[in-house]
Amino acid sequence: MTKIEVTLISGRTAKQGIGLEEGKPSEAYINSVCMVQLCPGDVEKLGVNEGDPVTVATDHGSVTVHWEGDEGLDSGIIFFPYGPWANQVYASGTGSTGMPLMKGIPAMVEPGGKVLLLEEIVESLREEG
Amino acid sequence: MEKVDVVCPFCGCLCDDLVVTVDGGHVTDIKNGCVVSRSKFMNHGKHRVSSATAHNEKKNIQEAVDAAIKILSHSKRPLIYGLSSTECGAISKAIEIAEVTGGVVDNTASVCHGPTILALQQVGESKASLGEIMNRADMVVFWGANPTEAHLRHITRYSVMPKGMYVEGRKARKVVVVDVRKTRTARMADKFIQIQPNGDYEVLQTMRALVRGEEIDVDEVAGIPIDELKALVTEMSEAKFGAVFFGLGLTQSEGRHMNIDAAVGLVSEMNRKTKFVLTPMRGHYNVAGANTVFTWQTGHPYAVDFSRGYPRYNPGEFTAVDLLASGEVDAALIIASDPAATFPVDAAKHLAKIPVVTLEQKKTPTTMLSEVVIPVATAGIEADGTAYRMDGVALRLSKLVEPPEGVFSDEHILDLILNGLKEAAK
Repeated sequence: MTKIEVTLISGRTAKQGIGLEEGKPSEAYINSVCMVQLCPGDVEKLGVNEGDPVTVATDHGSVTVHWEGDEGLDSGIIFFPYGPWANQVYASGTGSTGMPLMKGIPAMVEPGGKVLLLEEIVESLREEG
Repeated sequence: MEKVDVVCPFCGCLCDDLVVTVDGGHVTDIKNGCVVSRSKFMNHGKHRVSSATAHNEKKNIQEAVDAAIKILSHSKRPLIYGLSSTECGAISKAIEIAEVTGGVVDNTASVCHGPTILALQQVGESKASLGEIMNRADMVVFWGANPTEAHLRHITRYSVMPKGMYVEGRKARKVVVVDVRKTRTARMADKFIQIQPNGDYEVLQTMRALVRGEEIDVDEVAGIPIDELKALVTEMSEAKFGAVFFGLGLTQSEGRHMNIDAAVGLVSEMNRKTKFVLTPMRGHYNVAGANTVFTWQTGHPYAVDFSRGYPRYNPGEFTAVDLLASGEVDAALIIASDPAATFPVDAAKHLAKIPVVTLEQKKTPTTMLSEVVIPVATAGIEADGTAYRMDGVALRLSKLVEPPEGVFSDEHILDLILNGLKEAAK
Protein backbone atom coordinates (compact mmCIF):
# COMPACT_ATOMS: atom_id res chain seq x y z
CA MET A 1 0.00 0.00 0.00
CA THR A 2 1.37 3.43 -0.95
CA LYS A 3 2.43 5.71 1.84
CA ILE A 4 3.55 9.28 1.07
CA GLU A 5 5.57 11.80 3.05
CA VAL A 6 3.92 15.20 3.34
CA THR A 7 4.01 18.49 5.21
CA LEU A 8 0.79 19.14 7.09
CA ILE A 9 -0.71 22.62 7.14
CA SER A 10 -3.85 23.30 9.18
CA GLY A 11 -6.17 26.27 9.20
CA ARG A 12 -9.64 27.69 8.92
CA THR A 13 -12.10 27.25 6.08
CA ALA A 14 -15.35 29.04 5.34
CA LYS A 15 -17.20 25.71 5.38
CA GLN A 16 -15.86 25.04 8.86
CA GLY A 17 -17.06 28.47 9.99
CA ILE A 18 -20.52 27.89 8.54
CA GLY A 19 -20.68 24.47 10.15
CA LEU A 20 -19.52 25.49 13.61
CA GLU A 21 -22.06 28.29 13.71
CA GLU A 22 -24.76 25.74 12.97
CA GLY A 23 -23.36 23.53 15.71
CA LYS A 24 -20.49 21.13 16.30
CA PRO A 25 -22.76 18.06 16.13
CA SER A 26 -24.11 19.19 12.73
CA GLU A 27 -23.35 17.33 9.53
CA ALA A 28 -22.09 20.59 8.00
CA TYR A 29 -19.42 20.97 10.72
CA ILE A 30 -18.35 17.34 10.81
CA ASN A 31 -18.06 17.12 7.01
CA SER A 32 -15.97 20.30 7.01
CA VAL A 33 -13.36 19.12 9.54
CA CYS A 34 -13.30 15.31 9.27
CA MET A 35 -11.25 15.56 6.07
CA VAL A 36 -7.96 16.60 4.55
CA GLN A 37 -7.31 18.35 1.26
CA LEU A 38 -4.83 16.69 -1.10
CA CYS A 39 -3.38 17.81 -4.41
CA PRO A 40 -4.42 15.78 -7.47
CA GLY A 41 -0.91 14.32 -7.87
CA ASP A 42 -0.90 12.97 -4.31
CA VAL A 43 -4.39 11.53 -4.81
CA GLU A 44 -3.02 9.64 -7.80
CA LYS A 45 0.03 8.43 -5.85
CA LEU A 46 -2.19 7.17 -3.03
CA GLY A 47 -4.56 5.50 -5.49
CA VAL A 48 -7.63 6.55 -3.53
CA ASN A 49 -11.07 7.03 -5.00
CA GLU A 50 -13.73 9.46 -3.89
CA GLY A 51 -15.15 8.31 -0.56
CA ASP A 52 -12.11 6.25 0.42
CA PRO A 53 -10.66 7.18 3.83
CA VAL A 54 -7.02 8.14 4.34
CA THR A 55 -4.94 7.95 7.50
CA VAL A 56 -2.71 10.87 8.48
CA ALA A 57 0.10 10.11 10.93
CA THR A 58 2.72 12.28 12.61
CA ASP A 59 5.31 11.47 15.27
CA HIS A 60 2.61 12.29 17.75
CA GLY A 61 -0.50 10.46 16.61
CA SER A 62 -2.66 9.33 13.73
CA VAL A 63 -6.23 9.78 12.59
CA THR A 64 -8.38 8.58 9.72
CA VAL A 65 -10.49 11.04 7.76
CA HIS A 66 -12.09 11.62 4.38
CA TRP A 67 -10.34 13.63 1.66
CA GLU A 68 -11.07 16.11 -1.10
CA GLY A 69 -8.92 17.43 -3.91
CA ASP A 70 -7.42 20.93 -3.96
CA GLU A 71 -5.49 22.11 -6.99
CA GLY A 72 -4.00 25.00 -4.99
CA LEU A 73 -1.78 22.58 -3.07
CA ASP A 74 1.65 21.49 -4.25
CA SER A 75 2.54 17.83 -4.18
CA GLY A 76 3.70 16.91 -0.69
CA ILE A 77 1.57 19.46 1.17
CA ILE A 78 -1.78 18.56 2.74
CA PHE A 79 -4.30 20.90 4.37
CA PHE A 80 -6.21 19.78 7.46
CA PRO A 81 -9.00 22.09 8.74
CA TYR A 82 -8.84 22.81 12.49
CA GLY A 83 -11.04 20.51 14.54
CA PRO A 84 -11.27 17.40 16.73
CA TRP A 85 -9.79 15.11 14.04
CA ALA A 86 -6.80 17.33 13.24
CA ASN A 87 -6.06 17.64 16.97
CA GLN A 88 -5.17 13.94 17.10
CA VAL A 89 -1.91 14.54 15.24
CA TYR A 90 -0.57 17.71 16.91
CA ALA A 91 1.98 17.60 19.70
CA SER A 92 1.12 19.70 22.74
CA GLY A 93 4.61 21.16 23.21
CA THR A 94 4.65 24.91 22.81
CA GLY A 95 8.36 25.74 23.03
CA SER A 96 7.55 28.00 26.00
CA THR A 97 5.28 30.21 23.90
CA GLY A 98 1.83 28.78 24.70
CA MET A 99 1.33 27.94 21.02
CA PRO A 100 1.52 24.36 19.74
CA LEU A 101 2.80 23.87 16.18
CA MET A 102 -0.19 23.47 13.86
CA LYS A 103 1.43 24.22 10.52
CA GLY A 104 4.47 22.87 8.73
CA ILE A 105 4.40 19.47 10.47
CA PRO A 106 6.06 16.40 8.86
CA ALA A 107 3.44 13.68 8.36
CA MET A 108 2.67 10.50 6.43
CA VAL A 109 -0.54 9.76 4.53
CA GLU A 110 -1.75 6.32 3.47
CA PRO A 111 -5.03 4.92 2.19
CA GLY A 112 -7.44 3.16 4.52
CA GLY A 113 -8.37 3.17 8.20
CA LYS A 114 -11.57 3.67 10.17
CA VAL A 115 -13.10 7.12 10.46
CA LEU A 116 -14.25 7.79 14.04
CA LEU A 117 -17.49 9.60 14.79
CA LEU A 118 -17.40 12.87 16.77
CA GLU A 119 -18.74 11.05 19.84
CA GLU A 120 -16.02 8.41 19.51
CA ILE A 121 -13.34 11.10 19.27
CA VAL A 122 -14.71 12.72 22.45
CA GLU A 123 -14.89 9.36 24.24
CA SER A 124 -11.28 8.64 23.25
CA LEU A 125 -10.26 11.70 25.26
CA ARG A 126 -11.39 9.83 28.38
CA GLU A 127 -8.96 6.99 27.67
CA GLU A 128 -5.65 6.80 29.53
CA GLY A 129 -2.38 7.32 27.73
CA MET B 1 -38.75 44.75 11.96
CA GLU B 2 -35.39 45.58 10.32
CA LYS B 3 -32.48 46.45 12.61
CA VAL B 4 -29.67 48.31 10.87
CA ASP B 5 -25.97 48.77 11.57
CA VAL B 6 -25.88 45.52 13.49
CA VAL B 7 -22.37 44.32 14.39
CA CYS B 8 -21.53 40.75 13.39
CA PRO B 9 -20.14 38.67 16.28
CA PHE B 10 -18.14 36.14 14.29
CA CYS B 11 -14.63 37.19 13.25
CA GLY B 12 -12.25 40.01 14.05
CA CYS B 13 -13.65 42.13 11.19
CA LEU B 14 -16.73 42.96 13.34
CA CYS B 15 -18.60 44.18 10.23
CA ASP B 16 -21.01 46.80 11.54
CA ASP B 17 -23.35 47.20 8.57
CA LEU B 18 -25.61 44.17 8.90
CA VAL B 19 -29.34 44.54 8.45
CA VAL B 20 -31.15 41.93 10.51
CA THR B 21 -34.86 41.22 10.25
CA VAL B 22 -36.54 40.20 13.49
CA ASP B 23 -40.06 38.83 13.38
CA GLY B 24 -41.99 37.37 16.28
CA GLY B 25 -38.92 37.38 18.51
CA HIS B 26 -36.84 35.44 15.97
CA VAL B 27 -34.15 36.39 13.46
CA THR B 28 -35.74 35.72 10.07
CA ASP B 29 -33.26 37.30 7.65
CA ILE B 30 -29.89 38.98 7.44
CA LYS B 31 -28.43 41.22 4.75
CA ASN B 32 -24.83 42.28 4.06
CA GLY B 33 -23.30 39.49 6.15
CA CYS B 34 -20.92 36.87 4.77
CA VAL B 35 -21.97 33.20 4.59
CA VAL B 36 -20.58 32.50 8.07
CA SER B 37 -22.36 35.52 9.52
CA ARG B 38 -25.60 34.32 7.91
CA SER B 39 -25.04 30.88 9.43
CA LYS B 40 -24.47 32.42 12.87
CA PHE B 41 -27.60 34.60 12.86
CA MET B 42 -29.92 32.13 11.15
CA ASN B 43 -28.77 29.04 13.09
CA HIS B 44 -28.23 30.49 16.56
CA GLY B 45 -31.19 28.47 17.84
CA LYS B 46 -29.91 25.10 16.58
CA HIS B 47 -28.03 22.51 18.64
CA ARG B 48 -28.50 24.56 21.81
CA VAL B 49 -27.70 23.30 25.28
CA SER B 50 -31.28 22.53 26.28
CA SER B 51 -30.88 22.90 30.04
CA ALA B 52 -28.30 23.33 32.77
CA THR B 53 -26.73 20.08 33.96
CA ALA B 54 -24.49 19.02 36.82
CA HIS B 55 -23.00 15.54 36.99
CA ASN B 56 -25.21 14.50 34.05
CA GLU B 57 -28.45 15.51 35.79
CA LYS B 58 -30.72 18.33 34.72
CA LYS B 59 -30.59 21.27 37.13
CA ASN B 60 -32.00 24.74 37.28
CA ILE B 61 -29.58 27.60 36.73
CA GLN B 62 -29.02 28.31 40.43
CA GLU B 63 -28.31 24.65 41.19
CA ALA B 64 -25.82 24.50 38.34
CA VAL B 65 -24.20 27.74 39.50
CA ASP B 66 -23.92 26.27 43.03
CA ALA B 67 -22.28 23.15 41.60
CA ALA B 68 -19.83 25.38 39.69
CA ILE B 69 -19.04 27.34 42.86
CA LYS B 70 -18.37 24.10 44.74
CA ILE B 71 -15.94 22.87 42.06
CA LEU B 72 -14.08 26.17 41.81
CA SER B 73 -13.90 26.83 45.55
CA HIS B 74 -12.47 23.32 46.17
CA SER B 75 -9.90 23.65 43.40
CA LYS B 76 -6.29 24.40 44.30
CA ARG B 77 -5.41 25.57 40.79
CA PRO B 78 -8.34 26.26 38.48
CA LEU B 79 -7.93 27.31 34.85
CA ILE B 80 -10.35 29.95 33.58
CA TYR B 81 -10.18 29.88 29.79
CA GLY B 82 -11.82 30.98 26.56
CA LEU B 83 -13.46 34.40 26.51
CA SER B 84 -12.72 35.53 22.96
CA SER B 85 -16.24 34.90 21.66
CA THR B 86 -18.08 36.81 24.32
CA GLU B 87 -18.36 40.47 25.24
CA CYS B 88 -16.06 42.51 27.45
CA GLY B 89 -18.29 42.56 30.56
CA ALA B 90 -18.11 38.77 30.81
CA ILE B 91 -14.34 38.83 30.31
CA SER B 92 -13.99 41.27 33.18
CA LYS B 93 -15.97 39.01 35.55
CA ALA B 94 -13.96 35.93 34.53
CA ILE B 95 -10.69 37.65 35.40
CA GLU B 96 -12.09 38.54 38.82
CA ILE B 97 -13.04 34.88 39.33
CA ALA B 98 -9.40 33.94 38.65
CA GLU B 99 -8.28 36.48 41.24
CA VAL B 100 -10.76 35.27 43.88
CA THR B 101 -9.88 31.60 43.34
CA GLY B 102 -6.11 32.15 42.99
CA GLY B 103 -6.35 30.51 39.59
CA VAL B 104 -4.93 31.05 36.13
CA VAL B 105 -6.84 32.93 33.45
CA ASP B 106 -6.05 32.68 29.77
CA ASN B 107 -7.84 33.54 26.53
CA THR B 108 -7.74 31.97 23.08
CA ALA B 109 -5.06 34.39 21.95
CA SER B 110 -2.63 31.87 23.40
CA VAL B 111 -3.40 29.53 20.47
CA CYS B 112 -3.80 32.15 17.74
CA HIS B 113 -1.97 35.48 17.94
CA GLY B 114 -0.28 34.94 21.33
CA PRO B 115 3.10 34.83 19.55
CA THR B 116 2.16 38.12 17.87
CA ILE B 117 1.66 39.73 21.26
CA LEU B 118 4.98 38.33 22.48
CA ALA B 119 6.76 39.87 19.51
CA LEU B 120 4.94 43.21 19.68
CA GLN B 121 5.80 43.50 23.38
CA GLN B 122 9.46 43.16 22.43
CA VAL B 123 9.66 45.33 19.34
CA GLY B 124 6.53 47.52 19.16
CA GLU B 125 4.28 47.95 16.16
CA SER B 126 3.43 50.35 13.39
CA LYS B 127 -0.35 50.21 13.08
CA ALA B 128 -3.42 51.89 11.64
CA SER B 129 -7.17 51.42 11.80
CA LEU B 130 -8.87 49.46 9.04
CA GLY B 131 -10.55 52.73 8.03
CA GLU B 132 -7.21 54.43 7.53
CA ILE B 133 -5.95 51.46 5.52
CA MET B 134 -9.10 51.56 3.36
CA ASN B 135 -8.62 55.27 2.72
CA ARG B 136 -4.88 55.25 2.08
CA ALA B 137 -3.32 51.88 1.30
CA ASP B 138 -2.16 51.47 -2.30
CA MET B 139 -0.32 48.27 -1.45
CA VAL B 140 -1.67 45.38 0.59
CA VAL B 141 0.32 42.27 1.51
CA PHE B 142 -1.38 39.20 3.01
CA TRP B 143 1.28 37.02 4.61
CA GLY B 144 0.24 33.60 5.89
CA ALA B 145 -3.35 34.82 5.90
CA ASN B 146 -6.34 33.63 3.89
CA PRO B 147 -9.21 36.09 4.40
CA THR B 148 -11.34 34.52 1.66
CA GLU B 149 -11.85 31.60 4.06
CA ALA B 150 -11.45 33.11 7.52
CA HIS B 151 -12.37 36.83 7.31
CA LEU B 152 -14.76 36.76 4.41
CA ARG B 153 -15.54 40.47 3.99
CA HIS B 154 -12.10 41.80 4.86
CA ILE B 155 -11.15 42.14 1.20
CA THR B 156 -14.42 43.67 0.04
CA ARG B 157 -15.11 45.92 3.02
CA TYR B 158 -11.74 47.07 4.35
CA SER B 159 -8.54 46.22 2.57
CA VAL B 160 -8.73 45.66 -1.20
CA MET B 161 -11.97 46.46 -3.01
CA PRO B 162 -13.43 49.59 -1.37
CA LYS B 163 -12.86 53.04 -2.75
CA GLY B 164 -11.01 55.07 -0.14
CA MET B 165 -10.56 58.79 0.32
CA TYR B 166 -7.18 58.71 -1.44
CA VAL B 167 -7.33 55.37 -3.27
CA GLU B 168 -9.59 54.50 -6.19
CA GLY B 169 -10.49 50.98 -5.08
CA ARG B 170 -9.11 47.67 -6.33
CA LYS B 171 -7.42 48.90 -9.52
CA ALA B 172 -5.34 51.40 -7.56
CA ARG B 173 -4.10 48.83 -5.05
CA LYS B 174 -1.30 46.34 -5.56
CA VAL B 175 -2.18 43.11 -3.77
CA VAL B 176 0.47 40.53 -2.87
CA VAL B 177 -0.06 37.19 -1.14
CA VAL B 178 2.76 35.21 0.48
CA ASP B 179 1.69 31.69 1.42
CA VAL B 180 2.70 28.05 1.32
CA ARG B 181 -0.25 27.16 -0.93
CA LYS B 182 -2.24 28.86 -3.64
CA THR B 183 -5.30 29.85 -1.65
CA ARG B 184 -8.39 31.61 -2.99
CA THR B 185 -6.87 34.84 -1.63
CA ALA B 186 -3.72 34.13 -3.67
CA ARG B 187 -5.84 33.66 -6.79
CA MET B 188 -7.24 37.18 -6.58
CA ALA B 189 -3.85 38.80 -5.91
CA ASP B 190 -1.70 40.66 -8.42
CA LYS B 191 1.28 38.67 -7.22
CA PHE B 192 1.51 35.34 -5.42
CA ILE B 193 4.77 34.38 -3.79
CA GLN B 194 4.91 30.73 -2.78
CA ILE B 195 7.10 30.05 0.21
CA GLN B 196 8.29 26.71 1.56
CA PRO B 197 6.63 25.66 4.85
CA ASN B 198 8.49 27.05 7.88
CA GLY B 199 10.51 29.39 5.65
CA ASP B 200 8.93 32.69 6.71
CA TYR B 201 11.60 33.84 9.16
CA GLU B 202 14.41 33.49 6.63
CA VAL B 203 12.44 35.26 3.91
CA LEU B 204 11.42 38.16 6.16
CA GLN B 205 14.99 38.64 7.39
CA THR B 206 16.28 38.48 3.83
CA MET B 207 13.81 41.16 2.78
CA ARG B 208 14.95 43.34 5.69
CA ALA B 209 18.50 43.08 4.42
CA LEU B 210 17.39 43.89 0.85
CA VAL B 211 15.55 47.02 2.04
CA ARG B 212 18.82 48.17 3.58
CA GLY B 213 20.60 47.59 0.27
CA GLU B 214 22.61 44.57 1.44
CA GLU B 215 23.79 42.02 -1.13
CA ILE B 216 22.57 38.48 -0.53
CA ASP B 217 24.97 35.73 -1.66
CA VAL B 218 22.41 32.98 -2.30
CA ASP B 219 20.14 32.44 -5.29
CA GLU B 220 16.98 31.62 -3.40
CA VAL B 221 15.52 31.64 0.11
CA ALA B 222 12.81 29.16 1.18
CA GLY B 223 12.08 28.37 -2.45
CA ILE B 224 11.82 31.99 -3.61
CA PRO B 225 14.41 33.34 -6.10
CA ILE B 226 16.29 36.35 -4.73
CA ASP B 227 15.32 38.37 -7.79
CA GLU B 228 11.65 37.84 -6.93
CA LEU B 229 12.25 39.11 -3.38
CA LYS B 230 14.20 42.10 -4.73
CA ALA B 231 11.30 42.94 -7.03
CA LEU B 232 8.85 42.70 -4.14
CA VAL B 233 10.96 44.94 -1.93
CA THR B 234 11.18 47.49 -4.77
CA GLU B 235 7.41 47.45 -5.24
CA MET B 236 6.84 47.85 -1.52
CA SER B 237 9.28 50.77 -1.41
CA GLU B 238 7.45 52.49 -4.23
CA ALA B 239 4.05 52.31 -2.47
CA LYS B 240 2.73 55.46 -0.85
CA PHE B 241 1.08 53.57 1.99
CA GLY B 242 1.49 49.84 2.49
CA ALA B 243 -0.32 47.48 4.83
CA VAL B 244 0.83 44.00 5.80
CA PHE B 245 -1.91 41.74 7.14
CA PHE B 246 -0.56 38.56 8.65
CA GLY B 247 -2.26 35.44 9.89
CA LEU B 248 -1.60 32.20 11.70
CA GLY B 249 0.70 31.11 8.89
CA LEU B 250 3.32 33.04 10.83
CA THR B 251 2.29 32.31 14.44
CA GLN B 252 1.55 28.57 14.19
CA SER B 253 4.62 27.52 12.19
CA GLU B 254 8.24 27.13 13.25
CA GLY B 255 9.63 30.37 14.62
CA ARG B 256 6.25 31.54 15.97
CA HIS B 257 6.85 34.85 17.76
CA MET B 258 10.22 35.26 16.06
CA ASN B 259 8.42 35.26 12.70
CA ILE B 260 6.39 38.22 13.89
CA ASP B 261 9.50 39.87 15.27
CA ALA B 262 10.97 39.62 11.76
CA ALA B 263 7.74 40.88 10.14
CA VAL B 264 7.68 43.91 12.44
CA GLY B 265 11.33 44.41 11.58
CA LEU B 266 10.54 44.39 7.86
CA VAL B 267 7.73 46.91 8.32
CA SER B 268 10.05 49.04 10.43
CA GLU B 269 12.66 48.94 7.64
CA MET B 270 9.99 49.83 5.08
CA ASN B 271 9.21 52.95 7.08
CA ARG B 272 12.70 54.21 6.20
CA LYS B 273 11.43 54.37 2.61
CA THR B 274 7.69 54.99 2.83
CA LYS B 275 4.71 54.47 5.14
CA PHE B 276 3.94 50.86 6.13
CA VAL B 277 1.73 49.35 8.83
CA LEU B 278 1.17 45.84 10.16
CA THR B 279 -2.11 44.32 11.32
CA PRO B 280 -2.73 40.83 12.72
CA MET B 281 -5.80 39.09 11.30
CA ARG B 282 -7.50 38.38 14.60
CA GLY B 283 -9.85 35.39 14.39
CA HIS B 284 -12.46 35.28 17.15
CA TYR B 285 -14.58 38.40 17.09
CA ASN B 286 -13.52 39.67 20.51
CA VAL B 287 -10.10 38.15 21.01
CA ALA B 288 -8.68 41.68 20.71
CA GLY B 289 -11.17 42.69 23.43
CA ALA B 290 -10.06 39.81 25.64
CA ASN B 291 -6.45 41.02 25.39
CA THR B 292 -7.60 44.57 26.09
CA VAL B 293 -9.72 43.77 29.16
CA PHE B 294 -7.03 41.42 30.53
CA THR B 295 -4.53 44.24 30.21
CA TRP B 296 -6.79 46.77 31.96
CA GLN B 297 -7.35 44.50 34.91
CA THR B 298 -4.09 42.61 35.29
CA GLY B 299 -1.50 44.52 33.28
CA HIS B 300 -1.07 41.52 30.96
CA PRO B 301 -2.94 40.43 27.81
CA TYR B 302 -3.25 36.64 28.45
CA ALA B 303 -1.63 33.81 30.46
CA VAL B 304 -2.12 35.39 33.89
CA ASP B 305 -1.60 33.50 37.15
CA PHE B 306 -3.10 34.69 40.46
CA SER B 307 -1.79 31.91 42.72
CA ARG B 308 0.35 34.38 44.68
CA GLY B 309 -2.51 36.81 45.06
CA TYR B 310 -1.19 39.18 42.42
CA PRO B 311 -1.06 38.80 38.63
CA ARG B 312 1.97 37.17 37.05
CA TYR B 313 2.42 36.77 33.29
CA ASN B 314 4.32 33.95 31.63
CA PRO B 315 3.21 32.50 28.29
CA GLY B 316 4.49 28.95 27.99
CA GLU B 317 3.84 28.39 31.69
CA PHE B 318 0.46 30.00 32.38
CA THR B 319 -1.03 29.29 28.95
CA ALA B 320 -3.91 26.83 28.68
CA VAL B 321 -2.29 24.19 26.46
CA ASP B 322 0.79 24.02 28.70
CA LEU B 323 -1.23 23.88 31.93
CA LEU B 324 -3.47 21.11 30.62
CA ALA B 325 -0.74 19.07 28.93
CA SER B 326 1.33 19.11 32.13
CA GLY B 327 -1.71 18.15 34.21
CA GLU B 328 -1.09 21.15 36.44
CA VAL B 329 -4.66 22.42 36.80
CA ASP B 330 -7.26 20.53 38.84
CA ALA B 331 -10.46 22.20 37.58
CA ALA B 332 -11.50 24.41 34.68
CA LEU B 333 -14.07 27.08 33.95
CA ILE B 334 -14.54 27.38 30.18
CA ILE B 335 -16.41 30.35 28.75
CA ALA B 336 -17.33 30.75 25.05
CA SER B 337 -14.71 28.30 23.84
CA ASP B 338 -14.31 24.65 22.91
CA PRO B 339 -10.82 23.52 23.92
CA ALA B 340 -11.78 19.83 23.65
CA ALA B 341 -12.23 20.45 19.91
CA THR B 342 -9.38 22.89 19.38
CA PHE B 343 -6.44 21.77 21.55
CA PRO B 344 -3.86 19.07 20.78
CA VAL B 345 -5.11 15.73 22.07
CA ASP B 346 -2.76 15.54 25.08
CA ALA B 347 -4.01 18.85 26.41
CA ALA B 348 -7.66 18.02 25.63
CA LYS B 349 -7.34 14.70 27.48
CA HIS B 350 -6.68 16.45 30.78
CA LEU B 351 -10.08 18.13 30.49
CA ALA B 352 -11.59 14.63 30.73
CA LYS B 353 -9.76 14.01 34.01
CA ILE B 354 -10.70 17.15 35.93
CA PRO B 355 -14.07 18.72 36.81
CA VAL B 356 -14.95 21.20 34.08
CA VAL B 357 -17.61 23.92 34.25
CA THR B 358 -18.64 25.19 30.82
CA LEU B 359 -20.79 28.17 29.85
CA GLU B 360 -22.00 27.54 26.30
CA GLN B 361 -24.85 28.21 23.92
CA LYS B 362 -24.43 25.04 21.89
CA LYS B 363 -23.44 21.41 22.38
CA THR B 364 -19.71 20.96 21.83
CA PRO B 365 -17.06 18.34 22.59
CA THR B 366 -16.20 20.42 25.69
CA THR B 367 -19.80 20.37 26.97
CA MET B 368 -19.79 16.59 26.41
CA LEU B 369 -16.82 16.30 28.81
CA SER B 370 -18.05 18.81 31.40
CA GLU B 371 -19.29 18.11 34.93
CA VAL B 372 -21.38 21.28 34.89
CA VAL B 373 -22.87 22.88 31.79
CA ILE B 374 -24.73 26.18 31.98
CA PRO B 375 -26.56 27.41 28.87
CA VAL B 376 -25.99 31.08 28.07
CA ALA B 377 -27.26 33.75 25.69
CA THR B 378 -25.45 34.43 22.40
CA ALA B 379 -23.65 37.76 22.73
CA GLY B 380 -24.45 40.05 19.83
CA ILE B 381 -27.80 38.35 19.16
CA GLU B 382 -29.40 37.65 22.55
CA ALA B 383 -27.22 39.88 24.75
CA ASP B 384 -25.54 43.23 24.20
CA GLY B 385 -22.03 44.26 25.14
CA THR B 386 -18.79 45.63 23.73
CA ALA B 387 -16.27 43.97 21.43
CA TYR B 388 -12.95 45.08 19.91
CA ARG B 389 -12.24 44.80 16.20
CA MET B 390 -8.89 43.37 15.00
CA ASP B 391 -7.48 46.91 14.75
CA GLY B 392 -8.51 47.81 18.32
CA VAL B 393 -11.67 49.77 17.50
CA ALA B 394 -14.42 49.15 20.08
CA LEU B 395 -17.94 48.48 18.76
CA ARG B 396 -21.23 47.86 20.50
CA LEU B 397 -22.96 44.49 20.05
CA SER B 398 -26.77 44.47 19.91
CA LYS B 399 -29.37 42.47 21.71
CA LEU B 400 -31.80 41.62 18.88
CA VAL B 401 -33.96 38.92 20.42
CA GLU B 402 -34.59 37.45 23.85
CA PRO B 403 -32.59 34.35 24.80
CA PRO B 404 -34.51 31.12 25.50
CA GLU B 405 -36.50 31.27 28.72
CA GLY B 406 -34.38 31.01 31.84
CA VAL B 407 -31.14 31.60 29.91
CA PHE B 408 -28.91 34.55 30.84
CA SER B 409 -25.79 36.26 29.50
CA ASP B 410 -22.25 35.03 30.23
CA GLU B 411 -21.73 38.14 32.36
CA HIS B 412 -24.80 37.44 34.48
CA ILE B 413 -23.85 33.80 35.15
CA LEU B 414 -20.22 34.71 35.88
CA ASP B 415 -21.44 37.38 38.29
CA LEU B 416 -23.51 34.76 40.14
CA ILE B 417 -20.49 32.45 40.33
CA LEU B 418 -18.21 35.30 41.44
CA ASN B 419 -20.55 36.40 44.22
CA GLY B 420 -20.97 32.81 45.37
CA LEU B 421 -17.19 32.33 45.48
CA LYS B 422 -16.78 35.52 47.50
CA GLU B 423 -19.41 34.27 49.95
CA ALA B 424 -17.75 30.86 50.20
CA ALA B 425 -14.41 32.53 50.94
CA LYS B 426 -15.78 34.46 53.95
